[in-house]
Amino acid sequence: MKVLVIAEHDGKSLRAASLSCLTFAQQVAQATEGTVSWLVLGSQATGVAAEAAKFAPVLLVESSRLARPMADSCAAAIANVAKNHNVNLIAAASTSFSKDVLPRAAALLGGAMASDIVRHEVTAEGLLFDSPQYAGAVTATVQLLGSPQVVSVRSSAYPAATPAAAPFGIEAIAMEDATLASRCEFVELKTKQNSRPDVTEARIVVSGGRALRNSADFEGLVGKLADVMGGAAGSSRALVDAGIAPNELQVGQTGKIVAPELYVALGISGAVQHLAGMKNSRTIVAINSDPDAPIFDVADLGLVGDVYEVVPQLIERLQSR
Amino acid sequence: MTQMNTADVIIIGAGVAGLSTAMQLAGRGAKVIVLERDRVGNGSTGRAAGLLGQLRGKAEQTRMLVDGLAIVKELEKLADVEIFVQTGSLRIAETPERAEEISALVEMGKSIGFDIDHMSIDDVARHLPYMRTDDLVDACYCPTDGHLQPAELAAAYLKVGKQRGVRCETNTPVTGIIVEAGQVRGVRTAAAEYFAPVVMNAGGPWSYLNAELAETVLPTAAIGHYYLTTRPDPANPVDRLSPAVRDRELRIYTRPESGGLIVGIYDAEPDRYDMGKLPADFDMSRMKAARDSLQVAQLIEATHHRFPWINERTPMTITTGIMTFTPDARPFCGEMPNIQGLFHCSGFSGHGIVQSPVIGLIMSQLILDGHSTYDVSSIEADRYFDMPGYIDRRDIEDRCAAMAGNYYGKVERPTVAAGGQAAK
Amino acid sequence: MKILVPTKRVPDTDQKIVASDDGSRVNVEHIPFIINPFDAIALEEAVRIGEQRGDVEVVAVGIGGEGYEQPLRTALAMGAQRAVHVRCDESLDPWNVARLLQAVVLRETPQLVIMGKQAVDDDANQTGQFLAALLGWPQATFASRVVVEGDRLTVDRETDHGIETVRLPLPAVVTADLRLNEPRYASMAGIMKARKKPLDVIAVGDLPVAIEPRLRVISYRSAESRKRGERVKSVDELLDRLTQPGAALHKRG
Ligand SMILES: Cc1cc2nc3c(=O)[nH]c(=O)nc-3n(C[C@H](O)[C@H](O)[C@H](O)COP(=O)(O)OP(=O)(O)OC[C@H]3O[C@@H](n4cnc5c(N)ncnc54)[C@H](O)[C@@H]3O)c2cc1C
Ligand SMILES: Cc1cc2nc3c(=O)[nH]c(=O)nc-3n(C[C@H](O)[C@H](O)[C@H](O)COP(=O)(O)OP(=O)(O)OC[C@H]3O[C@@H](n4cnc5c(N)ncnc54)[C@H](O)[C@@H]3O)c2cc1C
Repeated sequence: MKVLVIAEHDGKSLRAASLSCLTFAQQVAQATEGTVSWLVLGSQATGVAAEAAKFAPVLLVESSRLARPMADSCAAAIANVAKNHNVNLIAAASTSFSKDVLPRAAALLGGAMASDIVRHEVTAEGLLFDSPQYAGAVTATVQLLGSPQVVSVRSSAYPAATPAAAPFGIEAIAMEDATLASRCEFVELKTKQNSRPDVTEARIVVSGGRALRNSADFEGLVGKLADVMGGAAGSSRALVDAGIAPNELQVGQTGKIVAPELYVALGISGAVQHLAGMKNSRTIVAINSDPDAPIFDVADLGLVGDVYEVVPQLIERLQSR
Repeated sequence: MTQMNTADVIIIGAGVAGLSTAMQLAGRGAKVIVLERDRVGNGSTGRAAGLLGQLRGKAEQTRMLVDGLAIVKELEKLADVEIFVQTGSLRIAETPERAEEISALVEMGKSIGFDIDHMSIDDVARHLPYMRTDDLVDACYCPTDGHLQPAELAAAYLKVGKQRGVRCETNTPVTGIIVEAGQVRGVRTAAAEYFAPVVMNAGGPWSYLNAELAETVLPTAAIGHYYLTTRPDPANPVDRLSPAVRDRELRIYTRPESGGLIVGIYDAEPDRYDMGKLPADFDMSRMKAARDSLQVAQLIEATHHRFPWINERTPMTITTGIMTFTPDARPFCGEMPNIQGLFHCSGFSGHGIVQSPVIGLIMSQLILDGHSTYDVSSIEADRYFDMPGYIDRRDIEDRCAAMAGNYYGKVERPTVAAGGQAAK
Repeated sequence: MKILVPTKRVPDTDQKIVASDDGSRVNVEHIPFIINPFDAIALEEAVRIGEQRGDVEVVAVGIGGEGYEQPLRTALAMGAQRAVHVRCDESLDPWNVARLLQAVVLRETPQLVIMGKQAVDDDANQTGQFLAALLGWPQATFASRVVVEGDRLTVDRETDHGIETVRLPLPAVVTADLRLNEPRYASMAGIMKARKKPLDVIAVGDLPVAIEPRLRVISYRSAESRKRGERVKSVDELLDRLTQPGAALHKRG
């Protein structure tokens, strides 16, 4: 199979998720005696192309029209390359960029697409993919009918690719301006680099409950642990009610509903109204001094202990990693 | 069976009723095992809004609830928690009949020394700037009322209960009640048998099914209930210590919650549930209202009348759960006449949280002493026993649903009935 | 202005969902069906745009079998003026749903399509983008704010790197993300009016689309049921578990 991997980058460097997707592509290519190449789209992307070439051959489309990755122009570029190069399989890491662009490209190529795949299998009948559904409660094994096939790949499901001994080639592809025209105009991007992420957006949420005695302790334990884990700080209602944590941090029935990869509950008892807001989290960790606290029933990992002792240790270990 | 599975009392159901009774029983030295099909407090208890209003239409009932609040305060010390939030509460009247009702309640309350008085409409408006008051004719205020988080109350009962040796097994549905020669011997679960001379059915909405396990009838029905919780709105701040309000004409009650307002409604035509038809792993905390639920629309309409800033566009969550109603909205507390050792403790309609402290005490007395220091004549478990019209499930459901539909609507005639001595 | 809002009927995924023992389907018998939560958000946005402008017709579209009247009535009660039910009893993949929607768009000629970013059953996140491509319209996915000014839209989009604001001309396709709004519960008046609002049924055969499957589900299996309630003894053990490959704190690369 001829596999094309869409490289996601910020104009300067490749995003790590794309390297996991490359591993998926390499595995498919190997099993089908095929080839893999990157597709790098951008306005001044030679640096990114050079970085990508350390891992696999690169097709590079450079145009001032691609300065901002708009769905209509990127999808047109992908479809154009896929057709001209007889690509069989197009893959991109499952990110907000590819979720926007990839289905649009797939539609231009006949509509055979699987989303967010976590596993693949090469069989005599063709490729099979595992794709999570129903918020992860069920995994569907699917087959795509038609060619090329398009998949977005969950990056946590594959390890990152490693660079080859010598760099591969970079082939520049010329594309007409008309193909790359976008009707979407970029206005601005508001990044929130320095502040903590919102609880509903974060991959990791560290929440505190009534065990925390005041705002300073909340910040020093819950906030600090959230920071060293690169996550958001959340709270139970008890702390919001006591004025220790601000309203927008409340997780639960009357607060925010979250489903992060990791939810850490510090000194939270696990009342149903709190569980309503976080029970769909991928992994739940509970630290509570009461071995009978109901939170332990829903936690994947529970540690019985005093948050005032345990959390500083956790922070220290994580910082020294 | 092993020694481990024997006890003095087995309690079916770890809601507030079961846990409060377990704590009281263990406090008097009884060995208690609580068996719960799901998680602790994940039945009606987990859905409740947590209002604690002590005022009832009857003097002895009001007295019981006053004592109940004292038990909560005692419990806070024993469990080393602070759960009760004293906000005071209001009843408001928009018609002459309701005003009469309020006057009678105030009189009844005062006669038993309960802290209650009329409040002028101007004062009501000052207390609750976010509430419409121009259509009110009277109001009364009970400063000692308030609310708590039912989950925290359940946890506190369990905590103290465990200190006293109560064993509580979750994810353990009782599937059989063992009765020999008219005497209870214990219960059965998928994995084991448990033995005790006394079994207490505190199964909330499931109670009537539990009664059927012992081939007896308990005339309760499972009735749906809804409340909304608005998100905090800077334009309409709700102080967390704002008093609760009961507006029986509109069928609504309200209390502050998380910077917003809880408003619940007693529907005229409530949902009915057949507990036996729900899946075995039914989880009440996952219940959800449809976006075009008639009940929710009625709730929002009534709410909008009293709180004009709340309408269907207001960001809110809807909580729906199942209550246990009886034909007269009074609970069933006591032993069945046909099966020795089988006690019921169920049917608390919309007031099982506030009743639970004193009910636990009463049940422990009935089980251990055979009688209570309270007048329990109005809540005896056998008051409909074998009565025509209270045997067939359909009849029972109709009667209970009719009671539920009338619950707030009807005008009360408070009585200062004699009897009913408070404990101590 | 006319806004089309596709609405899907899905099982409430907050309930316990498992695959059938033979893996041929997902067991949904005991699960209540609801309007796809993201579609409810899309609908709310369309209704709000209508309430602001006054000159808007909101048309809800459902493609599927018998049960589809239910979410469409919900949509009407929430404020859509009209509903269209494309009656189709076979189950469809996102590609064919998008093609049928394209046919409905060509009939209805709306200026704007707002739809959920994904359906919570198959979680595919494809249909909106497919539809935009098929129509050759610009798209703004994962919207958290939508402003209509004349014949242009300004949309805030949720991306992995922050909120991106884009401007695009109508007609366009917008897909709704969670933070766009909080959908309403229908009012009494809304429910009453919905009973009289038109709900047109179109047989799938009456649309010029031949169904061409692109995605075949071979089997379903339930996610490994989580082993809950496990205890660790120390901070070190906890960190060991959380930093294993595949765990949330595992360092990649
Ligand atoms: C309508 C309604 C809506 C609600 N909405 C929400 C909501 O959105 N979100 C929400 O969270 N709640 C909500 N609640 C409240 C909920 O029922 C609980 O009251 C609340 O979640 C309890 O918060 P908590 O776990 O922090 O406190 P607690 O229940 O008091 O638990 C504190 C826990 O900390 C442990 N602990 C104490 N000290 C330490 C220590 N030093 N180290 C380790 N552990 C310690 C204790 O063992 C205990 O388990 C709602 C309730 C109602 C009725
Ligand atoms: C939406 C709503 C709002 C409410 N608001 C208030 C309020 O503000 N104030 C107030 O006082 N009351 C309120 N109530 C009423 C209150 O919740 C109930 O009266 C109270 O929780 C009843 O407690 P319980 O212990 O009898 O029942 P539950 O809490 O339902 O407990 C019964 C338990 O028994 C278990 N069980 C049943 N059968 C079996 C079996 N065979 N084996 C093992 N376990 C079994 C169930 O799983 C359940 O956990 C409200 C109720 C609802 C639904």
